[in-house]
Amino acid sequence: MKISVLGVGTTKFGELWEVSPRALVKEAVSEALSDANLKLSDIEALYVGNMLSGILGKQENLGALFAEELGIDIPAFKVEGACASGGLAVHNAINSILAGVYRTVLVVGVEKMTDHNPGEVVSALMGAGHDEERLAGMTFPGLYAMLARSYIEKYKTKKEDLAAVAVKNHYHATLNPKAQFQFKVSLDQVLASPSVAEPLRLLDCSPISDGASAIIIAKVNPPAGGQKATRRKNVYITASTVATDTLSLAGRKDLTSLTSAVKAAGKAYKMAGIEPGNIDVAEVHDCFSIAEIIACEDLSFFPKGKAASEIAKGKTTLGQGRPVVNPSGGLKACGHPVGATGVKQIAEIATQLRGEAGLRQVKGAKVGLTHNVGGSGAVAAIHILKNE
Amino acid sequence: MLQNVGIVGFGAYIPANRLPVKEVAEFWGKEPKNIEKSLGVIEKAIPDEDEDAVTMGVEAGLAALKMGKVPPEKLEAIYVGSESHPYAVNPSATIIGEALGVGRNYLAADLEFACKAATAGMENLAGLLEADLINYGMVIGSDASQAKPHDALEYTVGAGAAAFILSRKKEKFLVQILDFASYSSDTPDFWRRDGIPYPSHQGRFSGKPAYFVHVTSAAKKLLEKNKMKPADFSYCVFHMPNGKFPLEAALTLGFEKKQLEPGLIVGQIGNPYSASSLLGLCSVLEVAKPNDLIFLTSYGSGAGADSFILKTTKLLNTARKRVSGIKEYLNNRREISYSKYLRLTNKIL
Amino acid sequence: MNSISPVKIWRHQKETSLLLEKEGKIVSWTLVRVPPFGYERQAPYPVVLVELKIGKRMIGQLVDWQENDLKTGRQVKTVYRRIRQPDPEGVIPYGIKFKPI
Repeated sequence: MKISVLGVGTTKFGELWEVSPRALVKEAVSEALSDANLKLSDIEALYVGNMLSGILGKQENLGALFAEELGIDIPAFKVEGACASGGLAVHNAINSILAGVYRTVLVVGVEKMTDHNPGEVVSALMGAGHDEERLAGMTFPGLYAMLARSYIEKYKTKKEDLAAVAVKNHYHATLNPKAQFQFKVSLDQVLASPSVAEPLRLLDCSPISDGASAIIIAKVNPPAGGQKATRRKNVYITASTVATDTLSLAGRKDLTSLTSAVKAAGKAYKMAGIEPGNIDVAEVHDCFSIAEIIACEDLSFFPKGKAASEIAKGKTTLGQGRPVVNPSGGLKACGHPVGATGVKQIAEIATQLRGEAGLRQVKGAKVGLTHNVGGSGAVAAIHILKNE
Repeated sequence: MLQNVGIVGFGAYIPANRLPVKEVAEFWGKEPKNIEKSLGVIEKAIPDEDEDAVTMGVEAGLAALKMGKVPPEKLEAIYVGSESHPYAVNPSATIIGEALGVGRNYLAADLEFACKAATAGMENLAGLLEADLINYGMVIGSDASQAKPHDALEYTVGAGAAAFILSRKKEKFLVQILDFASYSSDTPDFWRRDGIPYPSHQGRFSGKPAYFVHVTSAAKKLLEKNKMKPADFSYCVFHMPNGKFPLEAALTLGFEKKQLEPGLIVGQIGNPYSASSLLGLCSVLEVAKPNDLIFLTSYGSGAGADSFILKTTKLLNTARKRVSGIKEYLNNRREISYSKYLRLTNKIL
Repeated sequence: MNSISPVKIWRHQKETSLLLEKEGKIVSWTLVRVPPFGYERQAPYPVVLVELKIGKRMIGQLVDWQENDLKTGRQVKTVYRRIRQPDPEGVIPYGIKFKPI
């Protein structure tokens, strides 16, 4: 498979009180069009990734809504899979191209979370979980806290190692002008932050954010005259896979791994014809610190039980290790507007593979991976990108 | 005399939280020792935030079914007596029935008569059983009542549930119910208007003209009818609004303190209203020997008293070992502060 | 936003009787300090993932607990409680929680 990424655009992530969802999408899309040197009339279909517009904003029908907002009346669809909505939207867009139905497709991930009070948002996010979990008064931090407990008890992980994830991602975010948080945090700060759901603390958790990210993909080499004046590496998606697992943690076979991610990653490596060791840079779904640790093992970057200490040693930090994980700052420090994340991850990897990531550039990056998870692991979408 | 009414299983439930009288007294700037002495109560049981008369009734009901080894589908009637039914309209009896797995073929009704709603239910079941209309029925007394802050009742209002399965199956009787009598009148000693969260009472009026007149009248009536006297009984149980009233009633009627003591649990759990006398009965049934006669009299404000003559069988000893008893519940205690009590009983909005 | 449908409660309550008086052990647990909408009154509360002896796994709150009950492997049994405080005019949701034994 070889799906070109023609252009990318991402808004700032954060508490964007003054920016409406329509304005977010307009901004991300116009940046992507400009980056691709394309016009709206070149776009044949629109896929929108979003989770909470209905339950929080009372607005559904987002395909039609954003098509209108952009001033086009092309086929448009919303794709939802909780926090994997973005990755799933990309996957669906890719499939439509592979099927020969559309040639050039725009994918936008968008989420507006800060219009609503946090209690409502926390509650709405649990729509990604199981009814039994909701009735128990569970929250997302609570679900991942249970995974953390199982992981920590099995592998005797030190709490400092758990905290190291946030430290690394905040450092990366200071190099990303679009990131929500532009400050570093120390291990002590993470360990001293208030407890949210034991053993996870406030600084182990990704924030509530607004934002949008857009990519334009097509199954051709960039059209003649469609490239920017400067010679730029072509980037293409070479694997796009999805796998599912039980909605509730109660149904899982292993509480120290997300089987959906393992399955999707296995398929993706095969599809791309590569090994985990070939990955230079990755954007993984660190909704909570433990999620990044488990991800690095599910993606076979490190052996089981070892990821936490390896991350703490800097093995995935920009300038120190390889693969560099979450150069954007990840969900924790770049922000996590739920539906936007999966698309932004692709945008970030594309930027890295083009060599255009500025201060946070992973030198010589050739192969990248995105890992986007919905719920506590009910669905995972993996994408692998290469440059040439 | 009844021929066909007996208890084939019973169960108790008392929540674990205990609010010491001392805590309440100190909060309101009163002398704990005086209050403990005058009320004869040291601490009272408080339900958790997520408990109510229905949840406690379910726990007691499950224990009764377990003790009696009665398949729940065999219950043909359920009466729930409470003054804190969670709904004003929607029966606790069917919510509890559903949770117990009773099926659909039963008569269900909720009763209210202050603290004697459940014993009224027992009398009703006795009627249905004696008339051979049902084979098994369950009565539950359960309350998670509230007391107004700074009111005298704040020292004594407790929570708990007791469930009894009554049957015609003589071969399964753990206790036989031999007879009952009731005495009722219109006496407004304690009441709660619809929609008002806390009960009101008329101070000392709930003593002589209320509790004592009704309790002693029902008791005397029953004793005379059966030509029996207090000395014939091994145990007596009276409704326990505090530690003093039941003792005074017992002595007035001619019972002795030692007959009363095994059932006198109010000092440790307070007054769980509709479950009060029935939990006292559970306590006695845990130590009674075969063929012991037990005299039970409940009291409900408004007012009325139900008296019962009960006799244990030799099956009681084995059966009661099947479930947790009052002793375990009394020992399973978790002291709480006054502020925690305010939180648990939703007085802090 | 959060009143529970009486029909949903009704469907759910039919299963409850089948799960009462069941024993199991804690497989994982957490203590929720930042609750979702509707559960503020109860917080902080422990939520546990339990493996019941009948072979089923369930997630629910732990009640009547002390700190040293919060550990993997702790024996528990199912009990009947209010799931959460109902809306003032709503149907009360009852269901399964767990209690250390």
